[in-house]
Amino acid sequence: MNAPEAPFAIPPIITYAVPAFVLLIIIEMIVVKLTKKGRYEYRDSATSLAMGFGNRVFGIAFGGLALLAYFWVYEYRLFNLGWTWPVMVACFFAEDLAYYWFHRIAHERRWFWASHIVHHTSQHYNLTTALRQTWTGTLGLNFIFWLPLVYIGFPPLMVLMFSSISLVYQFWIHTETIGRMGPFEWVMNTPSHHRVHHAINAKYLDANYAGVLIIWDRLFGTFVAEDDKEKPRYGVVSQLGTFNPFRVAFHEWLGIWRDVTHAKSLKEVMGYTFGPPGWSPDGSRKTSASIKAEWAKKQQTPPPEAVAAE
Amino acid sequence: MHFENPFGLAELIELGGSAAVVLLMIGVAAMLGFRMSARIDDGELARLAEAEGVRVDGAVIAKNGRTALARLSDGRVMVARVMGADVSARFAPANAINLDVKSRRLNATFADAGFPPLKMRLDDSPAWLNEFSSGGGSST
Repeated sequence: MNAPEAPFAIPPIITYAVPAFVLLIIIEMIVVKLTKKGRYEYRDSATSLAMGFGNRVFGIAFGGLALLAYFWVYEYRLFNLGWTWPVMVACFFAEDLAYYWFHRIAHERRWFWASHIVHHTSQHYNLTTALRQTWTGTLGLNFIFWLPLVYIGFPPLMVLMFSSISLVYQFWIHTETIGRMGPFEWVMNTPSHHRVHHAINAKYLDANYAGVLIIWDRLFGTFVAEDDKEKPRYGVVSQLGTFNPFRVAFHEWLGIWRDVTHAKSLKEVMGYTFGPPGWSPDGSRKTSASIKAEWAKKQQTPPPEAVAAE
Repeated sequence: MHFENPFGLAELIELGGSAAVVLLMIGVAAMLGFRMSARIDDGELARLAEAEGVRVDGAVIAKNGRTALARLSDGRVMVARVMGADVSARFAPANAINLDVKSRRLNATFADAGFPPLKMRLDDSPAWLNEFSSGGGSST
């Protein structure tokens, strides 16, 4: 393996950020207690934190697989980009774009949703929700979305460094205690933008996939602004009925298994595995698209009292 | 191929520290009083059904208000369970739920592992519930 060495020692960014995470969570709890802006529930937070802990256990156990894949693909890179400032700037944007597409597809395809759903299962939205992370990300091959970057020639450790920075950035936006942020919101992902992303209101579904920069959503047409008249409701369309971390971690994978074993054709197997979440052969289940279409139809239909008055 | 155990001393110390911090934060949350518990009543069931665009035609609610099962106007069933300060509801065709009523105990099982079986003690068992559990939707 002949990846170029970084010109500086790359610190363990996430490990260094953990004390700040803990402090900010405790500060947010106190702010919520005093101002009633936002919500906490200790069993919900316990589940979120247990998922974060499990994510670390699985990361230690299997994270090496992603690293191996990065270095293997890097052997076949198109360019020798090396560690220079212009390359680092380009890598920041490229990593953020890769995150956008990973995140979007993680919502649009059930295979990747089976891992990512974990992050959306809380009906609360606070800083502990940020730590509600998947245990099956590496085994679910999430890392493939970053392989094009190392194939182009960005050093694997540079890509990992910006992935870590993105993850740390995304921590603070999981809060209801911060409102709108003015012009900052034009370019950056903010608590307001990310509340929309976590919301299950039909109006807000499938929006704001950004990691650090919201520009990708604006560019690819997935941006939705938070509407003061419509408070976000959080969670998943079919809310979980459990705080059990193991059920949270694996329920969607078990759902795929159940559907695939009952499938009647290869087309059904593929649909249940790689179709949109909620896909079914007869269309009897709800997908994001069908929920949004139903909502849009209702918006166009005048309420009964308006019809009666005509 | 040689596989090394990824869990060395440094990793075990990190995980031990993380576990301690997790317990600290849960303790702080509990200490600050974030231990709210919702309660299900007819009003809550009506609200949940309305959000789904249907009405409640009949319902059984557990005495402690933590679980409920309702028959909806579109023929589906709604199962609700208290999740801390929130209520989590599932809507499903009656035949998608394994419903069993025996000696005033109701047991509703879903295929979905994300919604564990719901168990309730019943004061009385309405006729519609018996219909569901005796073939009108049950597979028991």
